[in-house]
Amino acid sequence: MEARDAWKLTDRLQAPSGKGDPFAAAVRATRMPMVVTDPGQPDNPIVFVNDAFLQLTGYERHQVIGRNCRFLQGPDTDQAAVSAIRAAVESKTDIAIDILNYRRDGTPFWNALYLSPVTDDDGELLFFFASQLDVTQRKRAELDVIEERDRVEAAVAERTQELEVALQARTDLLHEVDHRVKNNLQLISALVLIERRKATDAATKATLTTLRERVEALSAVHRLLYRNDNVVRFDVAGFIREFAAEAAQARGKPPVGLKLDLDSISVAAAFAAPVALMASELVRIAITHALASGTERYISLSIKPTSDALYRFCIADDGTAEGIITSIEPDQKSFIELLATQLHAKVHWNGYVGPSHSICVDLPIDEPPRGG
Amino acid sequence: MDTQLRVFVVEDEVLLQMQLEVFLDEAGHLMVGSATTMHEAITRAPTAGADLALVDIHLADGPTGVEVGRALADMGLPVVFMTANARRIPADFSGAIGIISKPYSQTGVAEALKFLVSAVKHPPPEAPLPPCLTLAPALAERWRVN
Ligand SMILES: Cc1cc2nc3c(=O)[nH]c(=O)nc-3n(C[C@H](O)[C@H](O)[C@H](O)COP(=O)(O)O)c2cc1C
Repeated sequence: MEARDAWKLTDRLQAPSGKGDPFAAAVRATRMPMVVTDPGQPDNPIVFVNDAFLQLTGYERHQVIGRNCRFLQGPDTDQAAVSAIRAAVESKTDIAIDILNYRRDGTPFWNALYLSPVTDDDGELLFFFASQLDVTQRKRAELDVIEERDRVEAAVAERTQELEVALQARTDLLHEVDHRVKNNLQLISALVLIERRKATDAATKATLTTLRERVEALSAVHRLLYRNDNVVRFDVAGFIREFAAEAAQARGKPPVGLKLDLDSISVAAAFAAPVALMASELVRIAITHALASGTERYISLSIKPTSDALYRFCIADDGTAEGIITSIEPDQKSFIELLATQLHAKVHWNGYVGPSHSICVDLPIDEPPRGG
Repeated sequence: MDTQLRVFVVEDEVLLQMQLEVFLDEAGHLMVGSATTMHEAITRAPTAGADLALVDIHLADGPTGVEVGRALADMGLPVVFMTANARRIPADFSGAIGIISKPYSQTGVAEALKFLVSAVKHPPPEAPLPPCLTLAPALAERWRVN
């Protein structure tokens, strides 16, 4: 029974100053607010408070003795904090937590609560002891920091959002322009088609066919740039593969055979149009040559890097006929030479690969060297 | 074997309609009707007696082609989109067989039609898939072509 009565030390605490033991006197006199509760009574009521507690909370002693401490809580008290304290009390462990409390006059303050069970030597719970500290100042500073951080984060988020919208608008615009370019190319080929169907003489028809094929080469460039979702680099091998397959199909019945040996090479998109026009012109020359000879079974197309800065595109026949060079119209030759000048490329008109006749072009992979 | 397709064309540019008619004709097919708006497409297609619809995404009344494609596919008319902006087409291709990318060439369209004849009339298609035609993912898987 001695242990159960141990809280009665509070009687001694309650005793007038000077009469209790020195410890009790110290607790009574300290400026640190303190309470003791008795878990042996229903709802764990307060059995002792010191003057500092009364000063902090604005209550009088008779108004708090016998009550549970939760009367300090109010509308904005965080229920998670209350639950944490309840859990600590139930499991008889100590807890340090900041909780929003209210004085008797209703003004809120931040309470840095430290609460711990007091047990006897056998581990039996005797009472709870708590100290309260008004940390409103510190808490306000903390909250200011959090608020400031939230404000900055909100500002950053808003700015990011603006930039994303701007980027999206730019991307949409790019897609819109891309879309119009493709539509216009389609319209141009339709216009050429109309004229070609009206043309009655062979020469005009041939001219318009050449024009159509060149427009189709440009069309293939734009299809590819979009399809690979890379509007910065142009896949030369992919272009040649696609263009040659269509051209062979379009011209020959049965189609001219294609032997392709294409290394993956991409060039700056700025060169896509002239490179495609030159490559397609050479492919058409090779196909025309094969068909005209009547004996050629296939043509070979190859691209290979020859150094860090150069790659070589070659067309070759199967060697059974006269050289390809004999099948070239003078204006085709000057068209290719013109593009070669722009691209800083070198054309080898009359070459051989084994028994095959070839035409090869050496092209720069990146920026053509700027003439000084 | 019946290799002629009767084609309904939904395209707001009259020049491109005309070009397609020539492409279809020269490839041995027939344009049986056309529309330039969603309304025209949905009212004319059911009576056109078509085997296939070629549908542009941007029509005279806005980017309504996807909806047109869905409606025609729901009527049981096979649809192929023809567009310069494949991004507008939903992942399931809105019920369409595939996409022909603009700008297309005469040969490209002819090759695509060769494939589509067997795809529409006697699936699965035997002709190889031409590069200018992108199949809807579900069909590409069913027909095991890529
Ligand atoms: C010794 C002791 C002191 C306490 N002091 C405070 C306090 O200053 N402020 C407060 O909000 N809660 C305080 N509490 C917590 C409440 O009394 C109660 O345990 C808490 O609200 C959880 O229980 P409930 O959910 O039943 O309210 C204290 C608890 C004990 C045991």
